[in-house]
Amino acid sequence: MNPWLRGLIYAVVVINVFLTITAWSIWFERKFSGRMQSRLGPTFYGPMGLLQPVVDGIKLIQKEFLIPINADRLLFVIAPPLTVVLALGTAAVVPFGADIIAADLDIGVLYLLALGSLTIIPVWMSGWSSNNKYAMLGAMRAVAQGVSYEIPLVLASLVPVILAGSMSLSDIVRFQIKHGWFAFWPPGPGFFAFLFFLPASLAEANRIPFDIPEAESELIAGVSTEYTGMGFGLLYLAEYLHTLVISAVASVLFFGGWDGPFAPGLHWMVLKTLGLFAGIFWVRWSLVRFRSDQLMSICWRYLVPGGLILVMSAGLWVHFHRGSG
Amino acid sequence: MTIGSVYFFLCAIACIAGALVTVVARNPIRGALGLLLTIVGIAGMYLKLHAQFLAAVQVIVYAGAVVILFVFVLMLLGADAMERPTGNRSPVARIAGGIGIAAIVLFTAYRAIQVYSRATNGHFPSLSEDFGSVKSVGKQLYSEALAPFELSTALLIVSVIGAIAVARTGHKRTALSPNNLTSAHRFFGGPVEPRDAAQPITKDSTL
Repeated sequence: MNPWLRGLIYAVVVINVFLTITAWSIWFERKFSGRMQSRLGPTFYGPMGLLQPVVDGIKLIQKEFLIPINADRLLFVIAPPLTVVLALGTAAVVPFGADIIAADLDIGVLYLLALGSLTIIPVWMSGWSSNNKYAMLGAMRAVAQGVSYEIPLVLASLVPVILAGSMSLSDIVRFQIKHGWFAFWPPGPGFFAFLFFLPASLAEANRIPFDIPEAESELIAGVSTEYTGMGFGLLYLAEYLHTLVISAVASVLFFGGWDGPFAPGLHWMVLKTLGLFAGIFWVRWSLVRFRSDQLMSICWRYLVPGGLILVMSAGLWVHFHRGSG
Repeated sequence: MTIGSVYFFLCAIACIAGALVTVVARNPIRGALGLLLTIVGIAGMYLKLHAQFLAAVQVIVYAGAVVILFVFVLMLLGADAMERPTGNRSPVARIAGGIGIAAIVLFTAYRAIQVYSRATNGHFPSLSEDFGSVKSVGKQLYSEALAPFELSTALLIVSVIGAIAVARTGHKRTALSPNNLTSAHRFFGGPVEPRDAAQPITKDSTL
C-alpha cells in the first residue's frame, strides 16, 4: 500500500479512537470519583449518564470564545489546538499490536520525549497570552515544573531503552515478550523506573497531584483562567489525552505492550492501557496537590539522583548479564 | 512536485519565517517563539536528510530546553524588560544594514547554486542503509568523535559549576524598599511566594 495512504488511514483511526476514549474517560472519571466519595456521579443524560460527554461537548461548542482585550490574540487562539495536536502526535509511535503501529520509528522513545518536551510550550503560551496575573503565575509554574520533570522522565525512559538495546517501541515490546516484562524482570531497575516514569510524566501532563499550573484553589484556574467555550474544552481535553497517551506508553515500556496469553495482542494492549489510566484516576482522587516547593524538591532531591542510579544499574545489569550469557 | 519537496518547502518557510520573527519582533516573547519555529523547521529538515536522531535531539535540546529557558529568563526579568525601546537609527546605519543583508543573501544563493550543481553531477556519495540511526550515531560518538565528545561534556560541567559559583557569591538577602524591589514585585505588584513575604510589606512599599 502507498505509505502516505497507510499513514493517513492510521492517523484517522488513531486520532478518532483516542478522542473517543478520552471523551468517555471523563464520564468514567466522574463516575469513579463519585463512587469514591459516596456520590452517584452523572446520572441524568442517557443510561448511567453515558451521554454526559456528548452534552458537555455541545455545551462547550455553544459557548462564545471570548478573547480578553489586552491578550496576545494570535498566541491566545493557537495555544489550545496546539496542546491537542502535541498530545495526539505522541500517539503516532505507540504500537497496539505486532503490526498495528502508525509509525514504527527507529527513534520511537526519543520522539516521545521530544514531543513531551514541547508540551509545556502551548501551556505556557496560553498562560502568557491571557495577560492575566493568575494565568501568568500558572504559566511560570508550568515552565518550571516542565523543565524540572523532563530530566527524571528522560532517565526513567532510558532504563527500558538500555535493557532492550533499542529505541524503537515495538523492538522494546519484542524484547519483553522474549525476556519478561521490564516491570518485573530484571528485578529492580525496571520496576523503579516505572515508579519514576509515572509521576514525572504526570507532572508533564499537569495532572493532580502535580497540577500546580492550574491550582484552582490558589490561581483561580491558572493558565486556563481566561479561556471560555471550546478553548477551555481543548485545554481540558489535551490534559486527558496526555494522560491516556502516558498510560499507553507506560504499558509499552514496562508492561510488555501487546504481550499476553489467550487473547489477541490488541486486547491486552487496550486492557493494560485502560488499567493504568484508571490507576491514574485513582491516584488523582486519593492524593492532594503538592506545594510548588515540595514539587521541586521531590524532583531535584529524589527523582533526579534516583534516576541516575537506575540508569547506571540498568547499564551494569546489561553489561554483566550479556557478559555471562 | 513530490510530497517530499512540499515537505521541504514547508520546513524552509517555517525556518525563514521564524528567523525573521526572531529578529523583527518588538516583543521578546514573540521573538523566542519565532526561534522555536526555526528550530522545529530545522528539525524537520534533518528528518528529510534521514538524520532522525539529530532531529529528535534538536527538538529536545533546543526547543525543549533552550527556548524554554529564554522564556523563563524573560518572564523573570519582568514587564519592564518585555518591550524594546524603538530608537531612530541613522540613515548610514540603515544603508549599511541593507548592504550587509544583501551580501548575505547573495552569498547564500551563490553557495546554494554551487552545492546544487555538485549534487546533480553526482558528487555526493550515496548513504549507507543505517545512516542517521541511533546505532550509527552512537558508534561515531564513541569511536571517532570520542575526544571532542568528552571535551564537550567537560565544557558543560565547567559551565554548570561556573553558573552555580556566580549565583552563590554575593547572594545576600536585602530588605525590600521601593528602590530595591524584587522582579516579582515589579511584575506582579506583590509577593508571589511565601518566602518573599517573610518580612511584612506595607502597602506603600510595594509600588
